[in-house]
Amino acid sequence: MKRMKVVLLGVLLVAMPGFFAGGSFASSGLAGQEAPDFVLKSASGANMRLSEYRGNVVMINFWATWCGPCRQEMPLLDDLYSRYERVGFSLLGVNIDDDSSRAMEMAEELGVSFPVLFDERKEVSKLYQVEAMPVTVLVDREGKVRHVHLGYKPGYEEKYLTEIRSLLRE
Amino acid sequence: MSVKRSFGFAIFCASLIFANAAAFAQQVGPAASAASAGAIDGAAAGPGEFRSLDEEVQSLKEEVLALNRDLFLLEEELLFPANSQVAFFISMDVGEYFELDSVNLKIDGKEVANYLYTERELGALLRGGVHRVHMGNLKVGDHELVAIFTGHGPNVREYRRGATMSFNKGIGAKYLELEITDRASKQQPEFAIKEWE
Repeated sequence: MKRMKVVLLGVLLVAMPGFFAGGSFASSGLAGQEAPDFVLKSASGANMRLSEYRGNVVMINFWATWCGPCRQEMPLLDDLYSRYERVGFSLLGVNIDDDSSRAMEMAEELGVSFPVLFDERKEVSKLYQVEAMPVTVLVDREGKVRHVHLGYKPGYEEKYLTEIRSLLRE
Repeated sequence: MSVKRSFGFAIFCASLIFANAAAFAQQVGPAASAASAGAIDGAAAGPGEFRSLDEEVQSLKEEVLALNRDLFLLEEELLFPANSQVAFFISMDVGEYFELDSVNLKIDGKEVANYLYTERELGALLRGGVHRVHMGNLKVGDHELVAIFTGHGPNVREYRRGATMSFNKGIGAKYLELEITDRASKQQPEFAIKEWE
């Protein structure tokens, strides 16, 4: 009995970090499938549809104003966007706050230049099975989901860089 | 004497073995040469074989595309049978007075479509494109359609206009067009719903 308790404790200790750390592997069921199309209003007022970016490598980043790691990650994503936009890379930041004005304030404060879209109805976040924040999805030129990253930890931007460069080279 | 017999028997067996081996070699020989001839023929016919393989692949691709198209049409027929089918289309003939942003459709008070238009899609509409914004099934009888158009009107002001129409759904498919046109006399856009005969 005591031995079984030790074994169970060991299993829990190994499994627990996986629940909280945020996976950096493609754990979402969407990987390998066609990215669900959507259209949302952007901060600039224009409506933006994902399928109109077919032919580009697209990163979709789901974020919220109450999400601390999102604040850390967004300026780094902006760097990637600035660097690779001219060679066929697009980045769509999808905000899921109920109030889009707070999202606009935060985007301005962080000084991001990539398009910020508002998913107030949470329809798109449901389509992409977003259950944690942030979620970063990489879509290839043919519209297929290739990588999904749940959460953010310092260092993830290196993985993004490698994946973006690999997809751009295809 | 027995040694001589044994020796003779051994020689006889050996000769039998060699004879069979020779016969086997003869059988294999022609087959081998046939195989090598086949290989030579194969090498000579290589490009031809690849060409026919390519043609087969192409025809398979065409079959798959045709099947996909048939499947799509069949799916539509099953999900939206002609006798209950109703479809709504948007067309635009505007220049100065209205820039469309979105369309919201309600049938009998229930929202059935809410479509946001991108710049590219608006360009297509302005060039004469017609967009099927909703297709569904309705029972025979009277129904009410409410269409709400959101966009920017004259002087880039935010604009929201509705159009209502009651229509009767009979047996057979029903097609309704929601038309947005400029009305120069009033300097305003006009929204109309019309039925296709």
